Amino acid sequence: MNSYLKYFLKKFGWYLLTLVVAITLNFFLPRMIKGNPVSVIVSAMSQGMSDVNAQKKLYESYMHQFGLDKPLFQQYLIYFQNILHGDFGVSFGNYPRRVSNILASAIPWTLGLQIPAILIGWLLGNLLGAFTAYKKGVFDKIIFPAALFVNSMPFFALSIIMLYVFGLHLKWFPIGGGYGYQMIPNLSLSFIGSVLQHHFLPFISIVLVAIGGQAIGMRSMSIYELNSDYVLYAKLMGIRDSRVVRYVFRNAVLPQVTGLALSIGTMISGALITEIVFNYPGIGTWLFTAIRTLDFPLISGCTLMITLAVLAANFTIEIIYGLIDPRVKATQMEGQ
Amino acid sequence: MGQTILTVSELKTFYRTRLKENVHAVDGVSFTLEEGKILGIAGESGCGKSTLALSVMGFYFPPLNFKSGSIVIDGIDIMKLSREDLRTKVLGEEIAYIPQSAMNALNPTKRVGKFIEDILREHRPGLSQEQMQRLAAERFEILNLPTRALTAYPNELSGGMKQRVVIATSTILNPKVLIADEPTSALDVSSQKIAIKLLKSLLAKGFVKSMLFITHELPLLKHVADDVMIMYAGQIVERGRIDEVIFKPMHPYAQALMGSIIVPESDIRGHRLSSIPGAPPNLKNEMKGCRFADRCIHTVDECRKEEIPERARGERTIRCLFDFDYQSEETAHERR
Amino acid sequence: MNGDSSIVLEGRKLNRQFGFGRNRFFAVSDVDFVFRSGEIISIVGESGSGKTTLAKMIMGLLKPTSGEVMFRENPRSLRTKADREEYWKSVQGIFQDPFSSFNQFSKIQTLLLDCINLLKLKLSEEEKMNMMREACGFVNLEFDELYNKYPFELSGGQMQRLMIARIFILKPKVLIADEPTSMIDACSRATILDMFLKLRKQNDMIIVFITHDLGLAYYVSDTIYIMEHGKIVERGNAATILESPVHSYTKRLLADVPKLKEAWDLG
Ligand SMILES: Nc1ncnc2c1ncn2[C@@H]1O[C@H](COP(=O)(O)OP(=O)(O)OP(=O)(O)O)[C@@H](O)[C@H]1O
Ligand SMILES: Nc1ncnc2c1ncn2[C@@H]1O[C@H](COP(=O)(O)OP(=O)(O)OP(=O)(O)O)[C@@H](O)[C@H]1O
Ligand SMILES: [Mg+2]
Ligand SMILES: [Mg+2]
Repeated sequence: MNSYLKYFLKKFGWYLLTLVVAITLNFFLPRMIKGNPVSVIVSAMSQGMSDVNAQKKLYESYMHQFGLDKPLFQQYLIYFQNILHGDFGVSFGNYPRRVSNILASAIPWTLGLQIPAILIGWLLGNLLGAFTAYKKGVFDKIIFPAALFVNSMPFFALSIIMLYVFGLHLKWFPIGGGYGYQMIPNLSLSFIGSVLQHHFLPFISIVLVAIGGQAIGMRSMSIYELNSDYVLYAKLMGIRDSRVVRYVFRNAVLPQVTGLALSIGTMISGALITEIVFNYPGIGTWLFTAIRTLDFPLISGCTLMITLAVLAANFTIEIIYGLIDPRVKATQMEGQ
Repeated sequence: MGQTILTVSELKTFYRTRLKENVHAVDGVSFTLEEGKILGIAGESGCGKSTLALSVMGFYFPPLNFKSGSIVIDGIDIMKLSREDLRTKVLGEEIAYIPQSAMNALNPTKRVGKFIEDILREHRPGLSQEQMQRLAAERFEILNLPTRALTAYPNELSGGMKQRVVIATSTILNPKVLIADEPTSALDVSSQKIAIKLLKSLLAKGFVKSMLFITHELPLLKHVADDVMIMYAGQIVERGRIDEVIFKPMHPYAQALMGSIIVPESDIRGHRLSSIPGAPPNLKNEMKGCRFADRCIHTVDECRKEEIPERARGERTIRCLFDFDYQSEETAHERR
Repeated sequence: MNGDSSIVLEGRKLNRQFGFGRNRFFAVSDVDFVFRSGEIISIVGESGSGKTTLAKMIMGLLKPTSGEVMFRENPRSLRTKADREEYWKSVQGIFQDPFSSFNQFSKIQTLLLDCINLLKLKLSEEEKMNMMREACGFVNLEFDELYNKYPFELSGGQMQRLMIARIFILKPKVLIADEPTSMIDACSRATILDMFLKLRKQNDMIIVFITHDLGLAYYVSDTIYIMEHGKIVERGNAATILESPVHSYTKRLLADVPKLKEAWDLG
């Protein structure tokens, strides 16, 4: 296991480095957007105010409060320090709410929507892919082409169609939000019921798209594995079909795990768009609002959370992969 | 002398391809195999040797299909058994298989010992895990394999070792018939020698009762087999004692084959190898008459009229209308 | 082989190391070679002796840890894409494992077409078809039976012959053939060897057979290199080496080959 520890530490080091680079980009990129957020806020607050001097005062006090009057590099150092303490500053657009406070309220919604949706979509997609490879028939002729079709649609298109058909037209499900807007979050059954109702449409949209993408890859991997020599040999040694299928599934799914690592970024960003379409109270919707109002601290906070999520997901996948695939273990750990 | 273990009569099998064509890869093969004997099968690549091996196992799955004929092992026609009986009582128990590319015959993500357990679980349901492990370890010891190979993944073993592991796995249930499909052609001469020694010792110790040995290396066959069958385009064209067939082949194809053997013996250099122009017939087509007719220098009209039956010539069986004696290939096959 | 034909490829102190630290070992160490135009060479050794590693270095698919390959008397450069394409037009290989060297998801026809397209000739569909049919003919394959199949639908030997058919399309100056006929029956092998010999005559092709089949080496080659643990332990004229081997390793290899007339000691 010693060599596995080495593998783990090496990977960990790389991910840490990536994280630092990401934080840096996170700070600088939003500041390249044209426009001055403070003037947006000030002009909003000072509507009807005629005194130019008072406006200027207000502007300067905000600049100072947000630290925007300091040189950029100094701002960066302060930012970095604050992040390490979990402090993302004060939101420009929701002044005086703290960004960390907003994120804390949004993250459970996003996690609650995306983790189950992506995992279930991945699992169902792989099962479907394996079935179409193995059983052919109805799976291969109807369900698989349908999966292909869904996969070729952009995330937002599917979400909008779902919203339109089941929300607006059939009125089966609410059209937006995380729970009934007249409700106050608590643990009552009626509130949980409302949450689940609001959860359903965005959840299904994400699951459907994920299924399509995974099924395609899994199908061709399974066909390849089914034709391999070890399958023939195992069958001819009298091993029952169900067990052979398990061999095949395992070997075909391993590359799919890497596939998940590669596609998790796309999946998360797609899922964020779904949140926007359904006006779901998660990170995606907040990020969308923040971009519209040039709310730098909130933008950085959201993107940082997203980066963190993608990195964490990738890291977990690689670590698991290293554990379950002996081939990776052998090649990755020895190195070239 | 020995008791007959395996009788195959008029076996015909075909591949059903994706394009819905039938490839008649085994087209009327009959032979018997006696206790203690090694029967060699040699022939042009693509003539159906591996397919014959698979067909004799009696366990068909797409794209390979059974057409007609019988396979009798120890008095039981295995083609009359139910598929489940065949799988649990015949495969591995009565007749076992060593695949052509033993290098890829092992599931890359399964430890060798675990795979053997899976096999034993199918055939010896009463055994405890320890008993299974003990059985595997004993067999490994007999084959001079280190016990650590049991806990290894296939990619941790060298080519020669993998081959020996497959030999051990295939014979774990002491089958009556062992079919070895080119078990050594991927090995270098030294590992080949070791593998052959093992196979022969298994036969001598009675762990297997008889063997079908497929190879295109005739010099090797000469030291391994008792009898040999020469196969061409799905049929057996000549059968007899190995020394006689190698040194005095009777069928024109066998004569060409023997004339092209290369060994590092001093008279081979500068010696003209016989080669036959043209390609073997397309196995998709229904064929009439001699399959070798297009490439044979002795062909007359009669050869193409109807199916050539097998006939005895001395102790030999040949599938040719004429009695050609083997001369040095320079005279018999010089065409240009 | 007359000694004055021009040197096409030359290796100088080629080394290749794998692994680091405790695991470090040399798969190929200090190998020198000289290949002259029209020469047939065999590199013979046991499994793991470094033959494939050496072949990959000659083909430019693996970087030597140290040492140099000279191509037409100049140091070989593979830095730019153009350099590499130029080199691979002259130096082509047949790989050891035919199954893994082909894309499993392309049909045979596509595989051969890709080869033809490498030549960058302006050909009609008809001419391309004929070219493929002819190349398959050289190796006793029936193109019309195969073109629509996937690699996994062929037998091992058919696959290997298909790899060889590529060579008859590409007609390189140097052919590195890594175990090219290990799955092919004697008769087809004889035909293919015949064809190789013709190609060599036509355009002075150099053929390097990488093999553990001493019979093949003895039959076809002018020069034999015997390789053990990454080192060349014996080299020279094929007949001399196999009729009177000097190195004990060569002697052992020779003894392990099953022969027709002599006994094979299985004791
Ligand atoms: N899955 C398949 N589908 C269709 N045709 C096949 C399939 N597998 C093999 N064939 C065809 O059946 C014929 C016999 O193949 P087989 O593998 O039995 O040959 P072989 O004698 O074992 O050859 P080799 O010496 O190269 O292993 C060949 O013409 C081959 O193209
Ligand atoms: N990419 C690699 N990483 C680490 N070790 C390698 C690598 N490629 C080859 N080796 C090692 O280098 C040694 C030489 O391998 P090589 O494949 O050249 O042998 P070979 O003579 O071609 O053997 P064979 O006859 O089995 O093909 C072997 O011990 C092999 O395990
Ligand atoms: Mg075969
Ligand atoms: Mg090699």
